[in-house]
Amino acid sequence: MFAHQTRSLLGAGRNFRVSVPIRSLSTPTQPTAPATTPETVSQPTPTPVAPVAEAASTPETPKTPEVPEQPLETRVKEWSERLGALGSETRLPRSVQAIYMRPLRRKAEYGLPVCDLQLRSYSVENVEFFADFAIRAAYYLNLPVSGPVPLPRIVERWTVPRSNFVHKKSQENFERITLRRLVQIKDGNPKAVQAWLAFLRKHAFYGVGMKANVWEHDSLDVGKSMDESVAEIEKSLAPKLAQFGQRKDNSLGQSIFDTLDSDRFAERKNL
Amino acid sequence: MSKVASLFHPKRLNLSGFTNIRVIRDNNKRMAVEQNEPERQALRYMIRNTSLPGRVRAQAQLQLSQMHAYTRPTQVKNRCVASGHARSVIRDFRLNRYQFRMQALAGHLPGVKKASW
Repeated sequence: MFAHQTRSLLGAGRNFRVSVPIRSLSTPTQPTAPATTPETVSQPTPTPVAPVAEAASTPETPKTPEVPEQPLETRVKEWSERLGALGSETRLPRSVQAIYMRPLRRKAEYGLPVCDLQLRSYSVENVEFFADFAIRAAYYLNLPVSGPVPLPRIVERWTVPRSNFVHKKSQENFERITLRRLVQIKDGNPKAVQAWLAFLRKHAFYGVGMKANVWEHDSLDVGKSMDESVAEIEKSLAPKLAQFGQRKDNSLGQSIFDTLDSDRFAERKNL
Repeated sequence: MSKVASLFHPKRLNLSGFTNIRVIRDNNKRMAVEQNEPERQALRYMIRNTSLPGRVRAQAQLQLSQMHAYTRPTQVKNRCVASGHARSVIRDFRLNRYQFRMQALAGHLPGVKKASW
């Protein structure tokens, strides 16, 4: 979804006006220890002035650059300077740059579907954004992904009279359109798929619902392993199966009406 | 079973949202239906089971007809949660048509917009 912003970033950083993602490059406002930071801030300054230790005066970060006795390194640079240096001297980390490009994808080797994730929302922006997020997350978890496939919209409509019954001729229509996107994971590790789903749930986006179908694949001789596990399953089910069927004491002399009046029915009614 | 409807009043009101006596009564009916469903179904099964002796089936018929009206599922009626109105209640939102329109226009129902096509 950021596709139209991508090229400008790589080619010429000077045209680049978006200020939000740069914030992570260096930590600009550090009120506690600004005197120690000049080396860690990764922007080389062309005029190295001898640093005078004035830790006490620096914490006021919004200093204007007109103050002459301040050495350049201790001050936080203006946004324009820092952005200007982006193209020539520094660059964003690759992972941050990737946000401005189309999402990266792993190649599916076998193309075996493992997980279908359906995203639903009433707004296009939300569902598109989250589908993009899910695809990027899948890339970093090494999961080949296909999508987002736009599924048919679900349109629900209601017509109600605007006012009383007598004014039935004047009605109003309302609708709710559910937009859907399908993101499919192909031949991924089941654990990685679970991690991916958990990550998406953790970072669930407002107004976006998720539904996942997960398939697990087994080797061809799955029948053998199932046959082997039968004895174990029967053993574990035995106490439950023993209670299955009619109870003998139920039909001992008393009629069914007595049963209906019995404690088992009465306790449910809690009257 | 006695025929007193107050039998079905809960000790404490377990309702939230709009309440009036009709909403409370409907809620009582819902709970009565839920609690008596196994018994009703057992009796209905006996009545329809032709392999049972006629006496038992007649007895079951009697007993079923003597159960309280509130235990009948047909007594339950959907009511608007915002106004208690019982007519033209839209099932998707559990709101009556007027409340639905008001809340939709106010933007309280996610995704619901005025439609024109």
